[in-house]
Amino acid sequence: MFNKRFTAKAVPLTVVLTSAILISSSSFARSNVYADFPITLKDYSGSATTSVSYKGQMARHALESSLKKLISKGDVSAMQSYYSGGSADRAIIAPATKGDFVIMQSTIGELSSKNLSGKTYKGLIPGWPGNMTGPEVVAFMFEKAADAEGGYDAAHAYDYTQLVSKFLMGAVMYNQAVDNYLDEKLEADTKPNNKPYKDGAAYTGKEHVWDEAFGYFGAPSHTLTLTAQDVYNIAKQKDVTAADYNYDGKVDLYKEMAFGHAYYASSFDKGGKTTYLHDIVGAYMDGRDMLVAANATALSNSERDQLKAYAQVIKTNWEKVIAEAVFKYAGETYEDMVKIEAILESNGDVSKAWRNYSKHWGELKGFALALQVGGKDMGATSVRLNRLIGHSPLLLGNTQVTGVDSNGEYIQSNSESWGGYMAHMLKVQNLMVDEFAVVAKSHDQTAGLAALVDSLGAKSSAEND
Amino acid sequence: MTDFFANFLNPEKRLFVGYLISAAFIAIIWIRMVQKKPLANIVSGFFNSNIWFSKSAIADYKLMVFNQFFIKLLAPILVGQLALTLFVFENMHLLFSRPSTSIPVWMVMLIFTSVLFILDDFSRYLLHRLMHRIPLLWRFHKAHHSATNLTPLTVLRTHPIEAVLFSLRAVIVHSLCLGVCFFFFAGSVSLIEIFGSSMFVVIFHSLGSNLRHSHVNLSYWNWLEKIIVSPAQHQIHHSINPKHYDSNFGAILAIWDNLGDSCIVSEKNQEIKFGLKGQSEKAHNLKNLIIGS
Repeated sequence: MFNKRFTAKAVPLTVVLTSAILISSSSFARSNVYADFPITLKDYSGSATTSVSYKGQMARHALESSLKKLISKGDVSAMQSYYSGGSADRAIIAPATKGDFVIMQSTIGELSSKNLSGKTYKGLIPGWPGNMTGPEVVAFMFEKAADAEGGYDAAHAYDYTQLVSKFLMGAVMYNQAVDNYLDEKLEADTKPNNKPYKDGAAYTGKEHVWDEAFGYFGAPSHTLTLTAQDVYNIAKQKDVTAADYNYDGKVDLYKEMAFGHAYYASSFDKGGKTTYLHDIVGAYMDGRDMLVAANATALSNSERDQLKAYAQVIKTNWEKVIAEAVFKYAGETYEDMVKIEAILESNGDVSKAWRNYSKHWGELKGFALALQVGGKDMGATSVRLNRLIGHSPLLLGNTQVTGVDSNGEYIQSNSESWGGYMAHMLKVQNLMVDEFAVVAKSHDQTAGLAALVDSLGAKSSAEND
Repeated sequence: MTDFFANFLNPEKRLFVGYLISAAFIAIIWIRMVQKKPLANIVSGFFNSNIWFSKSAIADYKLMVFNQFFIKLLAPILVGQLALTLFVFENMHLLFSRPSTSIPVWMVMLIFTSVLFILDDFSRYLLHRLMHRIPLLWRFHKAHHSATNLTPLTVLRTHPIEAVLFSLRAVIVHSLCLGVCFFFFAGSVSLIEIFGSSMFVVIFHSLGSNLRHSHVNLSYWNWLEKIIVSPAQHQIHHSINPKHYDSNFGAILAIWDNLGDSCIVSEKNQEIKFGLKGQSEKAHNLKNLIIGS
C-alpha cells in the first residue's frame, strides 16, 4: 500500500494546464495517483481495502519484456511457456534488478499467473505474410526466431526480438485496452457499475474494466507526480528515486514501473512537444474518479457518455503514440539505408549497419502492425502503410519477402530500387503526419523543409518586368 | 491593405523604401556626374507631375490596388509548394544516391543561394519571353507595356493572370531547387540572406533596380550589359520603336538574352518613347487593362 508523500515534483506547465482544463470540465477534483481508490460496493465483505486491481495486466507486461529477452536464446519451448503457459514460477527475466534499481518481484506468479496468448488479437494480420491471425503470427515468429542465430535472420533482415515485442504490445496491450475494455465493456449491459465484476470482488464491473485498461497502458500509478523524463528514466531503470514512490527501497512492478506504450509516450513527451503520457493517464484518472463518485450505482447514459469521452482521449492519444513510433522508426530505417549505401559504395563491411537496419525495421514493422489492431477500420491508410513497408525490409539485390510458401519458407520477389524504398520510408512518415497528425516527429527526414518552403514562399513575388 | 503597404516595407519587394531611396541617390549621382545636368533639373525631374499624375501612372496605381484583392487568390498555389517540393525530394531518390558525407554549411548556403538565383532568373527570362512571343500570353502582358510613362510603381502594373503565372513559376522553381538541394545537402540548406532576403536580390535592388522603370537612362558599359541588364536596357525593352521589339527579356542577368539573340545594349543619350505602337488613351482604362479593348 502506498504511504502518500508530497514531494514537490516539477510537473511541466503543460500538465498543469491540461489538468486545469480537464478538471474545469468535470465536477471532480483529479486524484494524482492511480491507487487506493475506495471500495464502493456496499455488500463487499472481503479483506481488500481498495477497489483497484490490475495485477494481471502488469504480469502481461512482465511476460512481454521477459519474452523479449528469450527470443534471442532460441528456445521455442521457453518462448511458448511465457506466451501461453500458466506457471507461477516463471522467472521475471526483465525487468530485473540492476544496481540500486531493485525489482520487488522475481516471478510472474508474484504478480498474477497469466499468459499472453489468450489475450492476443485473433483477427487477420494483413501486414504480415501468410494470412495469419495474431496468435499464428506469434507462433510463426517463435519458430523462425529459434532457427535464426540470436533471433536475428540477416538474410531476410528480420529482428524477431523487435518484431515480437512491438507486435505483442499492440496485439495484446493496445488491442485489449482500446478494442475491448474501453470499447464494448463500457456499454450499459456489460459489466455494470452497480454489481461486482464477479462474485465476491471488491470492485464493480466498470471500476475493474477501467483499471484493467489502465494496466495495459503500462504507466506507473504515480505518473501524474512525475515528468515524462522521470517515467522514461524509470523504464530505463536509471532513476530508482522517481520509481520508488513508497520509499520501500524496491520497485514494485505492479505500481511503480513503466512498461510498453507508456514508456514510448514518455520518450516522445520528454522532447517537450507532446503530452501524450499525462493526457492519457489524466483521462484514466478522471474516469476512475468519476466511478468512485458514482458510488456503485449503475451509470446513467450521460455518465457513460462522459466515461466514453475520457476513453476517447485515451484512445486518440494512444494511437498517436504508436503512430509517432512508426514515424520514428521509418526515419531510422531511412538513415540506416543512407549508411548502408555509402558503405557498399566504398566496399566496406556492411554487417553492423545491416544489423541496425534490421532492428529499426523490426520496430517499424512491429509498431505498424500494432497500429492496425486497435479495432478501428483504418481503410486505405492500412493498405497504404502495409504496401509502403512491405513484408520485409528491402534486401540486397532489391528483393523483398512477398509471401510464405506451404512449408513456411519465405518467398522473395523483385521489388523496389534502394532509393525507391527509401522514398517509401519518407512516404510512411508523411502518412503518419497526414493521418495521425503526429507532432513529436522523431528522426524526421524532411525536418526544416516546410520552414524552407515557407521562407521562400513569402519571397515568391509575382513581380515581373 | 497590409499587403499593399508590405510592398514598401518588405526588403523582399522591389518597392521597399530603402531601395527607392538608394535608386534616387544613384539617379542623382548618374545625372549630375555623368550627364552633367544641373541639380535643379534633377529635382524638378523627380517631382514632375506630368509623370506621376499622367494617365499612364494613374493606371499603374489603379491596377496595383485592383491586384491587391486578386493576389489573395494566390494563397492556395503556395500551399501546393510543399507537396511539390516533397514530390521532387522523394523522386530524387530514384535517380541518385543520397550522399552520406556532408560539406561545410557555408558552401551549401552559397551553392543553394546561387542555384536558386540562377534558376529563378532564368525562369523569369523564359516566362517573360513567352509572354511576348505567345499571342495569348501577350494579351495579358501588354497591360504592362501600355505604360507610356515609367515610374518604379510600373513594376506592379501587371495583369492579374500574369501575376498568377509568375507565382506558379516561382512555385515550380523553388520546389525543384529545394527538393534537389535538400536531397544533396539535407538540413544545411538555407539562403544567404540580407534583411531576410536572398543576398543576390538585395544587391540587385540596392543597386538601382527601380530605375528600370523610370526616365533615368542609367546604362553600364556595353560589355557589362551583356552580362547584367542595365536600367537603360530595360527601357529599350519598353520602347515603342519596332527595332527594339522582343529584346532584353532578362530580369537581372543579360546572359540569357545574349544566348537567345535578344540582347540589345544601350546607346549613349538614347531617347526612348515608351508604350505600344498605335495605342489610344483608352489603353490606360482599368477595364481595358484587365479585359482588353
